[in-house]
Amino acid sequence: MSSLFGSGSAAPIQTSEEIKAAVMRQLQQEAAMSNARSLIGKINKHCFKACVPTPGTSLSAKENTCLSSCMEKYIAMWNTTSKTYITRVGVETKRLGGQDAAAIASMATGMPEGGGGIMG
Amino acid sequence: MEQQLDLTKLSESDKKELNQVLTNEAQKSNIQQTVHHLNEVCWEKCITSKITSGTLDKSEEACAQNCVDRWMDTSLSILSKLDSMRGGPGH
Repeated sequence: MSSLFGSGSAAPIQTSEEIKAAVMRQLQQEAAMSNARSLIGKINKHCFKACVPTPGTSLSAKENTCLSSCMEKYIAMWNTTSKTYITRVGVETKRLGGQDAAAIASMATGMPEGGGGIMG
Repeated sequence: MEQQLDLTKLSESDKKELNQVLTNEAQKSNIQQTVHHLNEVCWEKCITSKITSGTLDKSEEACAQNCVDRWMDTSLSILSKLDSMRGGPGH
């Protein structure tokens, strides 16, 4: 794992197999990071709106409690939305002849497992 | 984190495999973007009372599901309307 953080002394990657694995790892990391960044931005936006109606000189204990509930709720809803959407896309694809079933199946693996999973 | 990867050393079959992985990731990313958008729309419609718990209650959960399904209905309805318009009156 240490080679992942690329200290300059690490041996250069040589074989096709190793290059492929490294590209795939980087791709998946960047995708996960980008998804997490979108989620965090939206949580910030909506929970700020819901929990901090009139910003004071600091966040009150009540606002902090609200923010923490809001964050969990937003992620819970994200998971519901994702599940419902993917189920529906599957139904529609089948109805339209099901050419893209493999693609739909691959989408399902993109779902974060539970609330904490998306951050991992 | 950045590594110098010599992509010219990739074999043809590995190139093909990477291409497939890339296509899948792009598709996954598209779906996730749609889910982010949908979740935003449905959050505003369904979470209207004060936030007191970190879970969805029964009515919020049902609202979220209906919201996604009706959004899909809307999208399909627009598409079929457009389709019939494109066909023109003679269609």
